[in-house]
Amino acid sequence: MKDHFLRLVLGFFLVISAVLVFVAVLAVRNIDRTMATSDWVNQTHAIILEVEGAFSSSVAGDGALRTFVLTGTARDQAACREALSNSADHLEVTKALTRNAPAQREQVLRLESLLTKQADLARAVMAARQVGSAEALRALEAAAAEPGISDIRRVVEKITSDEMALLAERDTASYRQAQTTRWTVWTGVVVQFLFLAGVAWLIRDDRAARQRVAATLREANEKLELRVRERTAELATSNERLATENLERRWSIQALEHQVHYNQLIINSINDSVFVLTKSLNISRVNPAVSHLTGWEPTELINLPLSRIVQLLPDPAAGAVPLTDPVARALKEGHDLRHRAATIEDKRGARKHVRFTLFPLRDRDKVVGGVAILEEMPLAPTPATSAPSPVRN
Amino acid sequence: MKKYILVVDDEADIRDLLAQYLTSNGYRVTTVATAVEAAQAVKQERPDLVISDLQLEDSDGLDMIAHLKETLPDTPMMLLTGVLFDSDVIQNTLSKIVSCYLPKTSSLSEVLANVQRLLAR
Repeated sequence: MKDHFLRLVLGFFLVISAVLVFVAVLAVRNIDRTMATSDWVNQTHAIILEVEGAFSSSVAGDGALRTFVLTGTARDQAACREALSNSADHLEVTKALTRNAPAQREQVLRLESLLTKQADLARAVMAARQVGSAEALRALEAAAAEPGISDIRRVVEKITSDEMALLAERDTASYRQAQTTRWTVWTGVVVQFLFLAGVAWLIRDDRAARQRVAATLREANEKLELRVRERTAELATSNERLATENLERRWSIQALEHQVHYNQLIINSINDSVFVLTKSLNISRVNPAVSHLTGWEPTELINLPLSRIVQLLPDPAAGAVPLTDPVARALKEGHDLRHRAATIEDKRGARKHVRFTLFPLRDRDKVVGGVAILEEMPLAPTPATSAPSPVRN
Repeated sequence: MKKYILVVDDEADIRDLLAQYLTSNGYRVTTVATAVEAAQAVKQERPDLVISDLQLEDSDGLDMIAHLKETLPDTPMMLLTGVLFDSDVIQNTLSKIVSCYLPKTSSLSEVLANVQRLLAR
């Protein structure tokens, strides 16, 4: 689009330049013509002046000749000669002025011929006057038959009228040239203005288009910046939320680890043997007191049935031996079994007397296992309760 | 001006997490690990709130709070501990010593809500 516009503007300027050159060339040529016309007009006026000067001198010479014929004085003879000489001078100038004009040249040659005859006649009359006035008068009468002043006047008038006619014709031509120049210049100016207006319109149109493009671009940039700001804000918010969530998660993990560690500390610090049991009465965890009492390592006891090392002694208060295992029944029914006499077998196979207590482990309303606490008894139980009843599972 | 909170806990991770969270929520926080350090920190600048664990390396959190209350009678004290107490104990015993009890199993947002509540008094 930009290249097209530049080409268009460049084209307009080329056309404007061409019109300018054309008008300038035409104007210069017309100025040259006008100057030439002016020279010619001056020359024409000079020809007319010189021809009329020649005629005036000729008339003056003729008058002076006739006076000399009457007076015979040297002064009148000199006046006649001077007038004829002046006439010859004017003729020479006229010939020079019409040197390049063949049409006028012919008339001037005719005038020259008439003036030469007049001069010859005057010389003849002046020679006759030396003889006597009668001789001079006869010579003058004889000259009357020859072409004289009236002929010279006609030729001069012809030359003058021809020159005036040419002058009028060239004035008309000069006026037309001036008009043509005027029209050419004004037309050129108008055309230039039209072209300049066209260029201005093109530039204005292009500028408006560029402004529209710039406005669209600016609007798009603003939208983009707004979107970026919004997105950045969203990301910042999201990042903040993630950071908070991360802190919360780390806090929860820390709190749980702390809680587990604390609970473990509590269990491990109990002096009695603690067995954590599954619902099937298998050992899932023991505290260090168990190892201390039995010599079993925790890894050797995990997943063993509690009955493998612990046996309940018959309850003297209950009388008969129960049909169902009291530990399993307590877990099933979800109640405690407290302070029951029992024995535990250590790693060497020896049995130690303990006091057995069981608490069911509840997760909400559901029993998920139990905790058995064995308190070491320093004395052996009574003979009535010496027959052990293994804890079944 | 930002409210100033003193955090007393023997576990560095807990101290760092609490300080980071409370700072990001517009509070100025100082953390110490022992009761002695807490006493020194209080002498340097009176806190607007004290958050303390129960089990400290050199003392009991409740004892420390009792001592701090002698110099900071109007400053709210929060007990934030992993030791879980029954509601009866909280209501009848702890409430007489501390302004607020929270187990460490509480979320940070709960901690923040209680901090804001105590500082708004």
